[in-house]
This record gives sequence, C-alpha cells and structure tokens, in this order.
Amino acid sequence: MSRPDQDALLDLAAAYALGALSAEETQRFEAYLATSPEAQREVAEYREIGALLALSEAEPRPAADLRSRVLARVGEQKTTALSARHPAPGSGRPTPLVWGALAASLIAAAGLGAGLLSLRGRVDALQIELAAREQTLSERDRLLRAREATLNAILEPGVKLFQLTSSGDPEPLIQLFWDQQHNVAILHGFQLKGVPAGRAYQLWFVKDGKPVPSITFQPESSGHAKVERIPVPTGGTLSAAAITVEPESGSPQPTSPILLVGPLQQKS
Amino acid sequence: MFSQAAAPPPLGDGDLIAKVAGGDERAIATLYERYGGVLYAVAYRIVGQRADAEEVVIEAFAQAWREAPRFASERGSVAGWLTMIARSRALDTVRARSRRNRLTASAAAERTGVSPAMGEWHPDPAGAVDHAERRAKVREALETLSPPQRQAIELAYFEGLSQSEIAELLQEPLGTVKTRVRLAMQKLRESLRPFYFERGT
Repeated sequence: MSRPDQDALLDLAAAYALGALSAEETQRFEAYLATSPEAQREVAEYREIGALLALSEAEPRPAADLRSRVLARVGEQKTTALSARHPAPGSGRPTPLVWGALAASLIAAAGLGAGLLSLRGRVDALQIELAAREQTLSERDRLLRAREATLNAILEPGVKLFQLTSSGDPEPLIQLFWDQQHNVAILHGFQLKGVPAGRAYQLWFVKDGKPVPSITFQPESSGHAKVERIPVPTGGTLSAAAITVEPESGSPQPTSPILLVGPLQQKS
Repeated sequence: MFSQAAAPPPLGDGDLIAKVAGGDERAIATLYERYGGVLYAVAYRIVGQRADAEEVVIEAFAQAWREAPRFASERGSVAGWLTMIARSRALDTVRARSRRNRLTASAAAERTGVSPAMGEWHPDPAGAVDHAERRAKVREALETLSPPQRQAIELAYFEGLSQSEIAELLQEPLGTVKTRVRLAMQKLRESLRPFYFERGT
C-alpha cells in the first residue's frame, strides 16, 4: 500500500474510535487496522478520548441497589457457565419430531461421505486460522500457549476427526476432534451465525439412538468457535453428533431443529 | 509477634481485570466502585432514562465479566474498554426504539447534563476526586472546540450517528463533517493526553 493511501486510512482512526464510520468504511479500515500497529496505536489513543468524553457528563446518581444488581447478574453468569459446561447426562426423552429430522439429515450427511479427513491438513488449516487472529503481542503469547495445547490434544494417538455440516453446505462447518482413548473432544467451528441474546449453540451426542446433552457455546463475531475438553459420553454406541440452538444454560433435550449434524464412528 | 501489616496498596485496573478473568467477583465489585458511576453517566446520557441506563450498566458489567480473559491492555485502558462496552449496549438499547422519536425528544429536552433530582455521585472519595479533576479537564478541552466541532463529536459519541448521518442531519457536505470530526479529535488528543485513564498492565 502506498504511503498516501495509508495516510488516508489513518485519517479514519478518529472517526472509527468514535464509531462514526459507515459500514463500508469500517470494513475497509478494520482490514487495514489488522495489519498496522500504527493504526492500532491511534485507535487505542482515540478510544481513551471516548472514555474521557463519558466523563464530560455530570454523573447522575444510580439507584443504590445497582451495585448489588450488577453483582447478582455476574454471579448468575458464573453459575450458568458452570452448569452449562456439565449438563446432567441423558435426562428426558427425545421429541420424535426432532429426531425424525435428525435421522433424515444423517442420511444426507452420510451420503456426502463426511468423516475422516487428513488430520495434518486440518491441523495446518487450524494453524493458519489461528495465526490470522494474532494481532497483538499479549494475545499472540496467550494464543501460542493455547495453540500448543490444542495441537498436542489433536495430535494425540487415537484422535479422530468428524465433521458436522448443515445439509451438505460447506459452511457453516464444525469439526469434532474425538480422542477415543480418553473420551474427550475438541469442537472447532467456522462460519457460524450469531445466536440471539440468551441463546447458545448446544452439542448433542446420539448414544444408542437418543440425544445426550453436551456443552453449550457461543461463536465469536468472526463466526469462529472452539471448545476444548468436552467429555464424550461412554457406555453405549455413539452414532452421531448434532447441533441445535437452545437457551444459554443448555437444555436436557433438544427444543429446536438440528442445524448441523454428522455421523460418528467408534474405533473398531 | 506478628505486627499488623499495613493495608496493601490498592490494585491497579490491570490487576483487577486479570482477577476478574480468573473469576474473582470482588475484583469486579471494585471496578464497579471505580467506574460504575462513569458507565451510568454515559448510559444515562445516551438512553435518557434511569431504568434503561441501569439495565445497560448491568449488561455492561456482565459482558465485561465474560470478556475479561480477552482484554488486551495495549488496545487501551480498562476504563476505556468498560466505557466502550457500556456505550455500545446503550446505543443498542436506543436503536431498539425509534431513532426519529429519540432525536425529536432529545432536541426538545435541552439537555442540562443532569436532572435536578439527581446529585453528583461520590461513592468513593479518592475515585471521585480523580474523576472530578478529569471531568474538569475534559470540559475545558471541549470548550476549546468550535461549537460545530463539539456538536459533531457529541452526535457521534452520544447519539451513535455516523459521519454520513451527521452530514444529513445538519445538511452539510460529508467532507466538511469528516474534517470537523478529525480536527476535533486531534485537538482533544492534544489537550487530554496527560489525563488518560491508567493503562492495564
């Protein structure tokens, strides 16, 4: 990029920090921002001005109970985050309608030959994708550690990759790296649409023909999602994994249509 | 045997956010004590009424709790980050209402910044002094802007208007508005640089 072009883009930093760019300009500027430490410094500084502008208003007195309401909401999140990560396994019966649909989509997915891919190729893709996300030094540091852990987990012997797709569309896509020795999985999603407030994606394992609830998660704004150390149900035959949209805290049984699905196959 | 240890020095914002990321609720309570008032002020200014402003503050701290592990200090201070979250949530609230109604109402309201029934809020004397001094500097800096410059900044920051929307509202060329925003922000940067909030560590 030539210097005058960069200067023109850099000029947008102030308006960007104020949130005053048009959608098109925002997109163009963010592409530049990702590659320019100079622009990142400018935006960081202009954002400080934003924080100070908030002060220009005299502070009206918030209700005396606001502090306790803030802390109550934070506390609630703490509990839902914990309970959502470890839902009670296998309670409730599947609704026939939903699981009829699951059967139908399974047939479609199986027809596409979804299943094992070259593990190395996917690991490379994961590395490239993670590398693109590393914009700042501390983030890079943190991500490197996380990536190492993820790669180690994926490269364990006995890890198999399964793919969950949406009626054969290449996107959105969810990869499930299932470590069959330790019965844990890593979920890696791409191009996932955002979910409405209070809702989340939920993963289901189909064990002996019945859905077993697993983790809930929300994609980042980039459409990317990664959840590690997902316990995989044991003591039965797993035939598939599926994704539905459920309340944030998770459901004991699916309450919405299946968005993505893919067959699973245990080691013989 | 054991002497009473002196009270430890207060934790910096960066330390607090790291504790929040680790799930420490006391740390987010301390951040609320430091910046709850600032967040409420910006929320109130944007949404224009108490119940919604309070809900915005609750949502903003809940979001900060979730996103603390992703906080990156080199992108700005904790105060800047919290304010940005509150401002976005407040603008979301307002966008859910009719923008037309709001603009009409706010033009008619002739804002005085604070409604008579509400005093200034000083939850913590040290923090309040800090804010009071900064607030005076910010107001001084805003005084140095030309009225059209100040209006453009306020329309963008508090009303969430884009430069094109400001140009349309004021019936002025887009280029004029862009220049105005840029020059105003540069001027504010020159005068406010010594008063930025503490950067996280």
